[in-house]
Amino acid sequence: MKVYPYRRLTGNVSWRVDSAQLKTEGEPWEDVESKYVSTVERVVALGPNDDRPDWTQARLRLSANLPAKAVDGGSPWQDVKVVAVLTERATNTRTAVELSPIATDGRELTGELYLHRCDLLDRATLAVHVVATVGGVRGRVIATTDAEWFVDVIETAPSLARELDVKLVGFESGASRLRRFKDSPWVVDTTGRIPAVRVNTDFDGLEGLMGGEGGNGAEKTVRELLLTQMCSEVWTAVFHSAVGDLEIEEDGTPLFPHGWQGEVLRAMLPDIHPDRDPEDALREIHAARTGTSATGWGELQPRIHFAASKRAGVPRTLSTTIRDLERLTQGDDA
Amino acid sequence: MTDRPSYLPEHLGLLPNAEAAEFLTEGLLAGREDTPSLKLNRVTEPLPYTDRRGELRPVRDLVEDAMAYCRAGGLKATQADAWLAPRLHAALRLTRREAADPGFWNYLALGVAPDYVVWRHLSDAKVAADRFRGQYHKQAFARLWWAAELFRDGSDYSPVVTACANQDIMNTALRMSVINHRPTAQAIVRLVAKGVITTGREVNALMGAVNASAATLMYDVIAPDVERESRPLLDWIAEAEHARQVSRQELPAGPDEEPTPELSVSALVDYFSDLFADAPVRGRDLDLGLEAVEETD
Repeated sequence: MKVYPYRRLTGNVSWRVDSAQLKTEGEPWEDVESKYVSTVERVVALGPNDDRPDWTQARLRLSANLPAKAVDGGSPWQDVKVVAVLTERATNTRTAVELSPIATDGRELTGELYLHRCDLLDRATLAVHVVATVGGVRGRVIATTDAEWFVDVIETAPSLARELDVKLVGFESGASRLRRFKDSPWVVDTTGRIPAVRVNTDFDGLEGLMGGEGGNGAEKTVRELLLTQMCSEVWTAVFHSAVGDLEIEEDGTPLFPHGWQGEVLRAMLPDIHPDRDPEDALREIHAARTGTSATGWGELQPRIHFAASKRAGVPRTLSTTIRDLERLTQGDDA
Repeated sequence: MTDRPSYLPEHLGLLPNAEAAEFLTEGLLAGREDTPSLKLNRVTEPLPYTDRRGELRPVRDLVEDAMAYCRAGGLKATQADAWLAPRLHAALRLTRREAADPGFWNYLALGVAPDYVVWRHLSDAKVAADRFRGQYHKQAFARLWWAAELFRDGSDYSPVVTACANQDIMNTALRMSVINHRPTAQAIVRLVAKGVITTGREVNALMGAVNASAATLMYDVIAPDVERESRPLLDWIAEAEHARQVSRQELPAGPDEEPTPELSVSALVDYFSDLFADAPVRGRDLDLGLEAVEETD
């Protein structure tokens, strides 16, 4: 737990993105349909589609509610402000906007945050902080809300989870770097903006199997299992890629990376070191990998494998598959 | 030594991370080999834009002039940073969205000027691979562009020159997200310009203190910036069609954006100075100790 040299605000500060509008050069502002703003997933999806081919500027309407004690006369906080901050690490973008009270009690606030398409690459984070003057010091952060939103400028569906980028390509005829994998059914590429899977269409029969919708029971079962296996490999690959490229502080503390690398680590670390908090777990993993820990890197592999297969749903799919196979064999016998 | 690529096409391209890997050979990293430029240009992807800022020649010329500038003046290769950063930024005219594509920087380093990367970053007979393909604060050209982008004050590149002349700012401050708040970046540069902080240890101590303090104090509130407008940047990019080559003598002018509010910068300069006075600087206490010993002698 962090210790602060001043009184912090406890209690619930709720906030949300109410709506979004987009502007194309030389056109008036246009509302974004509410289906692109998900309060459940806390994602605003502003990716291009037929409704909105190309926008240059977006405007988000935000609202927040403060607990009563934040604005009580007797509180230790003066000049209480609610500030929304949009950040994206890939573009080093940071935009802050102060919300304004809409009623006299000062507990309900709204504001508008403007963002420019040319400043954003793919997914920005939106967070809300409560700031006040405490003990004569201006600008103290007295609360930061747990709930972050994402503003996604690539996807068109407001979903927190990102779809894997899966492409079917012929390895023999494709880019030279794929040619050396021509006998492999698929490869995982973790060097891009998001992890990608390339499925080899030159691998006989694979395209039909993976791309097919229907098929008989056996085909379906195999496809499911193959997809799950692929996912598990992706999770293993992205984990190794993320942990192999950590930034290390001067005192040797590894930092959580930004982007998907950080998300992957935060998702998998609790399964690898269930009894540690994420920062601690990351330090331990880094120590194991660099050979400065009692636990060797080799000993960690089964845990990484377990975490990856759990993420990919291998145990669930496999048990379904086994059941399906039993049923299929019974059918054959009959 | 690694030489200029034998084949230079008319336009810049993108070399995705996955493709770049195969060109990072031991020989190149030791500065002994050239890059196979024909082969490399077969796996590049075209830029997402087709205007004149995508022309290769002006960038190649600029980089050659940066090396010539240092050789003629008897300067160290590190001193090229302060000269090249503002000029590269003004020559490329990119949006941040475009600059966030590592493929662009991979192409500059491997396809346009591997000789520059070797010349600038060879140390102990080796160039670190992340100078060719790496994060924005490591990669040879990305670090210059982002330093220029994050330390310029609207159209004024002079703070960039100050920031890039200090390798510790480049190595420590550039990767920290606190400087994404413009007044914070300007205040740090001003402390360097005023000579309040100069050595690596001082830069590290200041940046550590500024970063730690940002956890409880919101700089956006005590030192607000003006609202961001993209119009001046987009106009400046459109002007690339008619712009002359960037001047080798004068500092170029960046996008005509509103400068950082002076009140905000000076408020942070005062605040950071106080922070720095209280910050533990490695070696500072030791120096005091030595002086004390000398006095008693």
